[in-house]
Amino acid sequence: MDSDEEDYVFFGTPIEREEEITNRRKKAAAEASGNLRALPPWKQEVRDEEGRRRFHGAFTGGFSAGYFNTVGTKEGWAPQSFTSSRKNRAEVKQQSIFNFLDEDEKAELEGTLGTSSQFDTFGFTAAEHARKQADKEQKQRPSAIPGPVPDELVLPASESIGVKLLLKMGWRHGRAINDSRASSLYDARREARKALLAFASEDAKAPCPADEPVEEPESFTVQPSDDDTRSSQSLPAFVCNPKQDLHGLGYDPFKHAPEFREKKRLHLLNDKQRGDRKTMSIKDSLFGSKSGKAAPGFGIGALEEYDAEDEDIYAAGYDFEETCIEDDEEPSRLGIESKQPSRLSIESKQKVVARDQGVLPGFKVASVSDYQLERFDPPVIPKDFVPHHKFPGPLETLKKLDVPSPPEVPPPDDSNLKLLIEGVAKLVARCGKLFEDLSRKKNQSNPLFSFLSGGNGHDYYERRLWEEHQKFGDQAKLLLDGKLSPSTQKMTAESRGKLLGEKPLERSSRETTTSSVASGEFQLQFNLSDTFKKPDSFSKLPEVAKPFKDDPAKQERFEQFLKEKYEGGLRSTGYTAASNMSEAARAREKLDFEAAAEAIEKGKRGKESMVPTQPLDFLASGMQFTSGGLEQVENSHAEDLVTKKMYPRREEFQWRPSPILCKRFDLIDPFMGKPPPAPRARSKIDSLLFIPDSVKVAKPEEVAITNRDVPAAQTGAQMTIEDVAEQEIEIVAENVERPVDLYKAIFSDDSDDDVEDLNTKKAQDPEKKTEVATTALNRLIAGDFLESLGKELGFEVPPDTPYSTNKANDLRIETPNSDSGNAKLSTGTYLNPGNETAQDGDSQKSKSIPVRSGGYNSGKHTVGLLNVSGKVNEDKFAQEDKKVKSPSSRRRNWSSSSSSEDERSRKHSKRHRYRSSDSYSDPSSDDREHYCSRSKGKRERSSREKSSRSRKHSKDHKHRSRDSPSRSHRGSEREHSEARKEKRKRRD
Amino acid sequence: MPCVTWNCRATRAMGVEILWKNLESVMNRLILVVNLTVLLSLNYTLTAWIPRVYWKAAHWAQGLKGRMLKTKVAPSLAGLARPDKNKSNMSSSELPRKEANVLKGHEGAVLAARFNSDGNYCLSCGKDRTIRLWNPHRGIHIKNYKSHGREVRDVHVTPDNSKLCSCGGDRQIFYWDVSTGRVIRKFRGHDGEVNAVKFNEYASVVVSAGYDRSLRAWDCRSHSTEPIQIIDSFLDTVMSVCLTKTEIIGGSVDGTVRTFDIRIGREISDDLGQPVNCISMSNDGNCILASCLDSSIRLLDRSTGELLQEYKGHACKSYKMDCCLTNSDAHVIGGSEDGSIFFWDLVDASVVSKFRAHSSVVTSVSYHPKDNCMITSSVDGSVRVWKT
Repeated sequence: MDSDEEDYVFFGTPIEREEEITNRRKKAAAEASGNLRALPPWKQEVRDEEGRRRFHGAFTGGFSAGYFNTVGTKEGWAPQSFTSSRKNRAEVKQQSIFNFLDEDEKAELEGTLGTSSQFDTFGFTAAEHARKQADKEQKQRPSAIPGPVPDELVLPASESIGVKLLLKMGWRHGRAINDSRASSLYDARREARKALLAFASEDAKAPCPADEPVEEPESFTVQPSDDDTRSSQSLPAFVCNPKQDLHGLGYDPFKHAPEFREKKRLHLLNDKQRGDRKTMSIKDSLFGSKSGKAAPGFGIGALEEYDAEDEDIYAAGYDFEETCIEDDEEPSRLGIESKQPSRLSIESKQKVVARDQGVLPGFKVASVSDYQLERFDPPVIPKDFVPHHKFPGPLETLKKLDVPSPPEVPPPDDSNLKLLIEGVAKLVARCGKLFEDLSRKKNQSNPLFSFLSGGNGHDYYERRLWEEHQKFGDQAKLLLDGKLSPSTQKMTAESRGKLLGEKPLERSSRETTTSSVASGEFQLQFNLSDTFKKPDSFSKLPEVAKPFKDDPAKQERFEQFLKEKYEGGLRSTGYTAASNMSEAARAREKLDFEAAAEAIEKGKRGKESMVPTQPLDFLASGMQFTSGGLEQVENSHAEDLVTKKMYPRREEFQWRPSPILCKRFDLIDPFMGKPPPAPRARSKIDSLLFIPDSVKVAKPEEVAITNRDVPAAQTGAQMTIEDVAEQEIEIVAENVERPVDLYKAIFSDDSDDDVEDLNTKKAQDPEKKTEVATTALNRLIAGDFLESLGKELGFEVPPDTPYSTNKANDLRIETPNSDSGNAKLSTGTYLNPGNETAQDGDSQKSKSIPVRSGGYNSGKHTVGLLNVSGKVNEDKFAQEDKKVKSPSSRRRNWSSSSSSEDERSRKHSKRHRYRSSDSYSDPSSDDREHYCSRSKGKRERSSREKSSRSRKHSKDHKHRSRDSPSRSHRGSEREHSEARKEKRKRRD
Repeated sequence: MPCVTWNCRATRAMGVEILWKNLESVMNRLILVVNLTVLLSLNYTLTAWIPRVYWKAAHWAQGLKGRMLKTKVAPSLAGLARPDKNKSNMSSSELPRKEANVLKGHEGAVLAARFNSDGNYCLSCGKDRTIRLWNPHRGIHIKNYKSHGREVRDVHVTPDNSKLCSCGGDRQIFYWDVSTGRVIRKFRGHDGEVNAVKFNEYASVVVSAGYDRSLRAWDCRSHSTEPIQIIDSFLDTVMSVCLTKTEIIGGSVDGTVRTFDIRIGREISDDLGQPVNCISMSNDGNCILASCLDSSIRLLDRSTGELLQEYKGHACKSYKMDCCLTNSDAHVIGGSEDGSIFFWDLVDASVVSKFRAHSSVVTSVSYHPKDNCMITSSVDGSVRVWKT
């Protein structure tokens, strides 16, 4: 083409049809010119003379070097040329998928296991079955003609003429109509011939025997795929359902929602009332998703995982939990295609799913399993082993069981005594001889119980006892299998429990026996009195008072409880009878029981003077025991009331909006210039302990107070630790801080731009310069303000003296340190450590305790202390400060008390010391005012830097402010601050 | 206060009390007189009351506005209802109960429907991940905003109707240009789904409430996509957020309604004891309506945190459903899980009206800022416009 262009003269610019061509050409040209040579070898591309890329990476098209960007054959996509089929008929080649597969793919394909209808006898029968089923259904379908026409008259054509024809032609049900085999042509011809024959002979069953050899293995080369396709192509048994709805022809209302078709069909089935159904969930088969409740219509992107959030919580209309499904259908998958309402397949799937719940897919639960759990017989218990605890009590009474009965004795005249005797006898019979012994012992002095020890009525007692034993022995014999010898047949706790239908008791708490026995005799009496109250019910179990009549189970438990409480038997460790109850319910019930028992007791005591002839009715005393449940309800009502009173509950916390948020809301940042807030106190205790967190000092009055106080403080150390502590306590009382800084509110200007050259001559770098400038400016303003405020408040404000060169010194001194820390710290120019403490307290969430009102006092205190203890070193420090460039050693000395502090905080403390030491050189009161203004400046600065400063750092900053006063003070004060520090640490 | 002794129903007394609190104009005073006559005609014994009224009026005239009006009987429905103008005007017959339009187009549940600031248009968003702009009065679908990756849970328009913000299951907040339909910014940072989103008054900040138990404020002015404020004092999912000029109010499943006052840097937490589903401000800004998951809507006085009233009868147990007040603050509107809409009288909490609006859960209700018009959205995929 290039040569062409040279030969001809072109007018205008040629239209470039394809951009890529030109691109290619350009690239090629560029390459030719060596532009691309400069590229490193791994970036160069191999291109042909046309500029086309020939080698591709694995991800850009693969290797196509051989046959240029084609399918990889010599022919490429070129159509097969026509060859006359006349000459080589056999070579007419049907393309199959195998023609296009690589060797390995073929191997892969052939290697896979697949079903082949060749060997599938069951598949055919299944298909046949499905077809029959469909036929049956067809017969059962509603009448095609509405109205009173009897079905017998109008029979719908069971087979269409087409089917008939096909059958004549040798087609069978379940077979595909068009075989796409290689020999289809041949087969078709053959079939046609047969059909002709069939028609000619008019013999319907003629084709049947001849049908089998049709499937000749001649086409075996393409067998696998072909066979599969055929089996899958076998025609579905088509059920002609009469059109009964009012939809248009061909309209399928369930086109996009086949599950509803199923539902509707089932509804119809239900209407017809045939067959038994069972409910089954078809959810699993309808939705493959794990939740089964996806929002209809929208999936999520392919790259997003489907998690719980995507479940359709609204579940619009989809509820497949309960679906009726016919029971009598066998699983069959063949022959049901989409045309038929895909009922069978769904059902079969469901069945599989339902049956094989928890079974691996592809497996099913065996109905008869070979594996049987091997069970071992329990070890043989020696015959003579008696698994019961033997009571130490004598066994005579029990042995008397077989002893001939004592003679019938007429009951004593005294009916009370009679009742008593009967009751005791019953109890003894039930509880064993031990009970008799016990009661005898307990009631030795009681004349009523003389019958126990052979007194009045002893005979009758014997008799009754024997009767009771007989009674119980019979029962016990029935229950225990009677093989036990009479000697072992004594009433043990367990057998008694069995008799009473209890759970077997545990034998762990034997000591309760003694304790309950020792718990008092009136209990025993009371227990007896229980038995007395119903003289007519002796044949039955003794009736205890029934406070819980409405709840028999509970009553039972109550009786059990009483028994356990008073009878001195073995008590279960747990509360046995109601193991299904919750622990709380049990405890509550126990309390109920206790109360009831007490009430009974009381009633009993009231009647103790009288002989307990009447049945005990503690209900007469006005106490009613409702069932626990009711009580609970009442309780919950009460709780409701309580909660109603409790809510809504209002609490207030400190919250700090970010400055930018305030700006965007067009509000003044209430915390402007303040360091980040402390984390909210977790509890009351916290807030009590660490109150300084939330105490912020911002009131100008206090500043003014400081101003007033500080000069006084200079005269000496008036402030004692006690005072500090006192004030601390006062502070503690105040919880909610007032964040609005008056200074800030007044002097809040974000603009630091107005650089006023005050005391900045000696500032080293411009950054510092602006800061110092604003500091100074703010100090001036604040100083004025303070002064006026102080005057207003009646304080004497010392005159503002011009800022001395001290500060310049400070700046100079601090500069060497600033490189290690941040700018803010280095530029902090604080004259007075005490004030700085206060200020730090201010700004650093006021962590240091003596800050609020005492904070200034502490400032004063500091100053005073300095004046006392620090003054000695004052000059020295000042000089040192000026001298020391790398003051690490000194720092060590100072921060020795906080050896556990990290390096950074040490640095801070050091820096602070610098500042404080500055102040030593000029502890005059006017500087305090400067401080105020400067602190304000600092606050502003901090507000500016806040965003850039991490929280951790600010915490460190806090440390500094915390530590500083302690270190600059004497030991006790240090202890104090140490304690505080510890608190803080704990909090951290 | 003598209200205790009045022989009239407490509710009436309350109504009058409320009325008194809001006597801010001569007209209102006239209305008071009218109401007094009404009350008198109802045979209430007001003997002790009328002089008291005049006494109050005198005090009120002295500018002691409403301060002495906090009585024991009348819970401080502080400045709640407008002077009975609305009560008298807005009888229950004028509640929007007639279906004016059905806005169909969402495929699947509509999760929120909101009027724009002037009420001429409305926005809806739903599970089909789209936000739709409608003209509810004519029933026209105007625009689609598609960009969300998952369902859109809330949408809000700036007061000047130029920008949208929306949030949803994709944990992002989208900041849209209304006219072009383009996403101006996406704010990422929430660790969970975002339940609600609101602009502040100047449309400079978007505040979002998330499943990650936080409220986040996003700056629309700068290009930063980082939140400018994270409020994480909630103990559970934050379901709803309201903004005033100076406050951020969030309602959370932990049962609290927390007010964050930017101006004074204070967080006020009102614990309701029940998961808060949705919060909504009264139009006068004095009260908060909090829909709780115990099927009750609670009205809180914002200044005191008092529970003024509870509205019950609807079903709200598991879905995020909105509630709101009518533009006159005379009625409380809430949806129900059975598709009904409930109107309660604000003061006596009686169900004024109730009708079945949707076939399924009513997710959102929004009331026209001026007219008697309301839109509701539902899980059934429709947004309905209701008028009187």
